[in-house]
Amino acid sequence: MTIALSLHGVEKRFGDVVALDNVNVSLHEGEVLGLIGQNGSGKSSLMKIMSGLYRPDGGEVRVGGKVVQLRSPLDAGRAGIGLVHQEQSLIGSLSVAENLFLDKPAAYARWGSYRWTAMKDEARRQLEKVELDIDPFTPLGDLSFGERQMVELAKVLTLEELVDGHLVILFDEPTAVLNPPEIEALFSQIRRIKHRSSVVFVSHRMDEILDISDRVLVMSDGRNVAEREKDKVNVDELYELMVGKQRIDRVARRPRDAHLGSSRVLEVENMSVPGEVHDVSFSMAPGEILGVIGVQGSGAESVLRTIFGMADRWSGSIRFDGKPLEIDAPSAAVARGIGYLPAERKTEGMVRNTSVSENAAITFGWQHAAGPGMVSRRREKAPIKDWVAKLAIKTPSIEHQIDLLSGGNQQKVVLSKWLLGNSLKLLMLDHPTRGLDPGARADLFAAIRELADKGLAILLVGDTLDEVLSLSDEIIVMKDGMISAHIAQVQQSPPSEEELVRAMV
Amino acid sequence: MSSLSILSSPISRERLRRFVPFFVLVVTLIVLFNAAPGLMRWRAINSLMMDNAPMLLLIIGSTLPILIGCLDLSVAAMASLAAVSGALLSPMLGSFAGLAVVAGASLIGALQGYLIGRMQIPSFVMTLGALGIFNGAALALTGANMVGIGSGMWLFDSLAGRNFGISNMFLLVLAVVICLQVMLRFTRMGRNIYAFGSSELAVYVSGIRRDLVRSVAFGISAGCGALAGLMMLSQTQFANATIADGMLLPALVGVVVGGTAISGGVGSVVASLIGGIIAVLLRVGVTISSMPPSSQDIVFGVVILVAVALTTDRQKIGVVK
Repeated sequence: MTIALSLHGVEKRFGDVVALDNVNVSLHEGEVLGLIGQNGSGKSSLMKIMSGLYRPDGGEVRVGGKVVQLRSPLDAGRAGIGLVHQEQSLIGSLSVAENLFLDKPAAYARWGSYRWTAMKDEARRQLEKVELDIDPFTPLGDLSFGERQMVELAKVLTLEELVDGHLVILFDEPTAVLNPPEIEALFSQIRRIKHRSSVVFVSHRMDEILDISDRVLVMSDGRNVAEREKDKVNVDELYELMVGKQRIDRVARRPRDAHLGSSRVLEVENMSVPGEVHDVSFSMAPGEILGVIGVQGSGAESVLRTIFGMADRWSGSIRFDGKPLEIDAPSAAVARGIGYLPAERKTEGMVRNTSVSENAAITFGWQHAAGPGMVSRRREKAPIKDWVAKLAIKTPSIEHQIDLLSGGNQQKVVLSKWLLGNSLKLLMLDHPTRGLDPGARADLFAAIRELADKGLAILLVGDTLDEVLSLSDEIIVMKDGMISAHIAQVQQSPPSEEELVRAMV
Repeated sequence: MSSLSILSSPISRERLRRFVPFFVLVVTLIVLFNAAPGLMRWRAINSLMMDNAPMLLLIIGSTLPILIGCLDLSVAAMASLAAVSGALLSPMLGSFAGLAVVAGASLIGALQGYLIGRMQIPSFVMTLGALGIFNGAALALTGANMVGIGSGMWLFDSLAGRNFGISNMFLLVLAVVICLQVMLRFTRMGRNIYAFGSSELAVYVSGIRRDLVRSVAFGISAGCGALAGLMMLSQTQFANATIADGMLLPALVGVVVGGTAISGGVGSVVASLIGGIIAVLLRVGVTISSMPPSSQDIVFGVVILVAVALTTDRQKIGVVK
């Protein structure tokens, strides 16, 4: 078998952080290579080097046996390498067709203006490849996540016409925001393009990796540590290679033994948000973990954001801690003792370009100061270091810039800002484990359980059924803005996954 | 630990960058004093600082909106308006006119900050509008005439005086710098201001009142602008509606030369003081090099472009708009 793309002794450093350390990978023609590893193990850096977004500090990249310098994604494209982005790189206000040819300006333009008809026809041909039957002039923002992911793929697959010879298509966690039918559609596309492409596929879901890959490569601490043929490995072994034996045991389900009283910390009655939530009522006891699940657009996120004071218009009533909750901004929610971990970590969670400690102290740091209205960075240090240790946040120091940490560690820092104070009574978590590796997820689960044991009520919108099932005391299933099922005593008599899925769709 | 250490990052290049304004200051001083040794004298320095105290104050005030990632284009117009208001009010209120003007200006500034959020108007549009309003109001108040203050008013006389051999105006500038630096470093509001400049949305979702942060930043810049206007009034005993108009560009130059990032979240008022002194010395340099006064603005224009190019870390913000 010939080698399509290979990396030899590749290194990448950011300041004193080593992202990649002597990485050697070779990708055969027509092969699907699964790439797994914890957050911060170097998967994304590796993909970025292969696609020309980063330039290696050492080592070499070969395409078809020849050493190449990939200076930009454009260079990579010429060499037949395309990256399907993890965080979608498309522009919402442009049409699907314009997005497809955005990085190929010469193709459908004359004298700097688009030839719309030619572009539309070509766009339709490209969309047919991924079996997407939509008008090419639809604004991209009108599409669902799954459709957008397919447009991403179609955009990369335009390389099929533009480049002769073999292609390399890189997928950086494409399934993180897709639902099962969309994932199946994506996989059938990957199988289709195998005849003239090699594929590198990153995912945190082991069953998916085993389903689609021919070979699996495991990364850890910036090195490639193991390689397994698909037929000679199982899910458990992959987990073990990735995170080590000890941490898996912590992920294993442990029944919660919560003694919940009849007192209520949160009572939501007839909450409606126009177009998103319809007549939702539920209540929570202190120390309870309430899991909410539903497909994209079910309204679960809206419920959380409304309680946190972020909804413009809504009706119904909320009682919190014995008194009505009448608020119009998150600041008022926080003043009452409510915290919220947003799903959009990068825009709503992290204060970017600042240190870990500034992020951890942003909300409740003042509680450790000497006087009202003041802050003391000296007095904050001990509690921050405490939480960094408890949540197992991997950072060189608490003065380290948060942007330089891996996604999982960033998420833990964002969580820590709610834990630094002592006035919190309700913590709402919106997809807290999105994009986190199994190790970081286990750490986060342990922390959530411990907080609930101490009496904090936790309202959780989960990413997977498994995580909601293993954490919650009660589960609410939402569908089209309404509650379609309410399951009590989850730990004592767990519902089956089928039962939950039936209520979701 | 330096007062800037809250911005510490592991990258030493970043640390170096912070000392660039300081090096520039030292180099400017050496060049200037070689060209004109007479400037080395204490009296010359003192009068230079007194003459330029209003400008330094404008620079310091403008820093706060920039720290939160906004821009206040109305500070100089506010200074003009404050100068004429102070002159017109002083017959009635005496020295209290100064207090009333600064308080009123701060409230107007705070209102601007509040409206930016409430009406979703970009800050440079809001303050450009305010610039026009302040200019028009100042003209209407004076009828396009000079207005003067009588002598023997405690406030204006003591501003023109000196203590410990240093001009009171410059002492006042230092006091403002110290107060604001303490606020930025040791209070919740200070922390929120820096965080706001880095990620406004994250600050909102962290439960911090956005409108309050904006109001404080713009209130301080307008208050400093008004104080600068009163200083100019006490220097000349007269004011007209355009007294501070030419100071907007030098004020912004001072802020960015000091190293405060125009994108927000990085910088300090101490940095702006250093940047302001550089801007003052630049002006002196232009004068003694017998360049025509008309080229001053050209020099400031070039300096602002170079300073922004040098102090902006494009890797950090990713895009430039």
